[in-house]
Amino acid sequence: MLGFLRIIKFTFQNIGRNVGLSVMTVLILVLMLLSVNSLITVRALTQEASDAVKEQIDISVYFDQEVKDEEVAEVEAYVNSFEEVKEVTLFSRDEVLTEFTDKHKDNQDIISSIEELGENPFGPRMTIKTHETEDYATITEALSVPEYDQVIEAKTFADTEKTIQKIQLITSQVERFSALLSGLFGAIAFIVIFNTIRIAIYTQRTEISIKKLVGATDWFVKGPYMLSSLFFSLLSVIISFALTLLAIRFLDPYIMSIFNDPHFLTNYYFSHILVLAGIELGAVLILTILSSSLAMRKYLRV
Amino acid sequence: MISLTGVTKAYTKQSIGLDNIHLHIEAGEFVSIVGQSGSGKTTLVKLLIAEETPSSGNIEIGGWDITNIKRKEIPTLRRQIGVIFQDFKLLPKKTVRENVAFALQVAGESHKRIKDIVPRVLHIVGLGHKMERYPNQLSGGEQQRVVIARSLVHRPKILVADEPTGNLDTLNTKEIIEILKKINQFGTTVVLVTHNREVVNHLKKRVIAIDEGKILSDEKHGKYRL
Repeated sequence: MLGFLRIIKFTFQNIGRNVGLSVMTVLILVLMLLSVNSLITVRALTQEASDAVKEQIDISVYFDQEVKDEEVAEVEAYVNSFEEVKEVTLFSRDEVLTEFTDKHKDNQDIISSIEELGENPFGPRMTIKTHETEDYATITEALSVPEYDQVIEAKTFADTEKTIQKIQLITSQVERFSALLSGLFGAIAFIVIFNTIRIAIYTQRTEISIKKLVGATDWFVKGPYMLSSLFFSLLSVIISFALTLLAIRFLDPYIMSIFNDPHFLTNYYFSHILVLAGIELGAVLILTILSSSLAMRKYLRV
Repeated sequence: MISLTGVTKAYTKQSIGLDNIHLHIEAGEFVSIVGQSGSGKTTLVKLLIAEETPSSGNIEIGGWDITNIKRKEIPTLRRQIGVIFQDFKLLPKKTVRENVAFALQVAGESHKRIKDIVPRVLHIVGLGHKMERYPNQLSGGEQQRVVIARSLVHRPKILVADEPTGNLDTLNTKEIIEILKKINQFGTTVVLVTHNREVVNHLKKRVIAIDEGKILSDEKHGKYRL
């Protein structure tokens, strides 16, 4: 116990008396964590953008003007039976007409034409959303059966199929690029942190060997460096998250216009902060302790 | 007290530090080990503090066979031998008091005992008034006295001094040698490794001369002869 208390005392004594080295180590760790956080932010934004685009896509099924309610209900039940389907929304003939007139209320010619007809020219409409964009093709194919030829007048998916394919291609490429960038950043962070700690230990190699020569055990020498690693890791994670949260407060208003959420990034970070900070702290801690141990091994062989 | 039987230390086939050394040092002796640079003196010191292990032969210290000492036993051995180095080996970021206290802290001594012993030992070596200075604020002689205080603080039975006057002027050299003589008078075995002719001749104690890793001469009241 006495030895452990002394290790704690030496830890803070070391940090204080090597303040330049301590600040430099924390600064590099913070910079690395900030770049990792930037990447996390970019990934969150691209993911949200990709989801937002996917959300805009659906299949619209236009029923014949004279379709019966039972026939519509049958198609609806049939579509709902597919597990790929996320949501089905049905619009009655009146709703479709109201929507149309609202949309074209400024175009008097269209409104007059509708009035001249004297009856609702529209059939009901059904919009279908699936979990994945690639599932739209399955649903469209399922609806292209002879039984429904008489009741379904048109389906819009064929028109947007190419657009969906393009979006799929772009999002998959963005995700691949993002993963590649994460790997690259991870590798750079690993190399920089590993070498920072090695240099920090290297500058204290003489002290390490002196401590051994006057009878200190390996743990008595290593202890303060291990605790310093814990302290530096904790401090750098706190600083980097504080800076990140500060930065996203300025970013959020700019992003609001895209995602319609005034606190998208703030909410994202607060809802993921424990996982993100935990993973980053764990990774940095393992890395710093591993680097310290490897760097010290040579100097402890005295 | 110290016994080396047929000890050889070979770094490579061409580089032999010590070659089949037989040496016995009694408790309470003051022995000077002399020899030119590269003769094997420092290798001998490194073997005594288990910084190196012998390639062959046996080493015993106080009845403890340290030939194949386990890594975890080395700190215990070093706490029983006081060592003085030519380059002082003081911790630069610790004060004089902290440097001396460190040798007791590693041995798990209580705070109260450390607080009691350290100032006393520093007063003995004449540094009671410079306890809160850092090593770089002291002269060479003063730094060496801190090292002596550190090596004595846990009352070792053996004191190994490797070229303790190598970096000192004549006045400081005399002071350090006088301190070593006093330590010996209190019963501590002193092994002084040096190539300082004047020091050895002045001591008129046992002198062992080493050259190319072999013992050339071993005289009870010897002089520096090489």
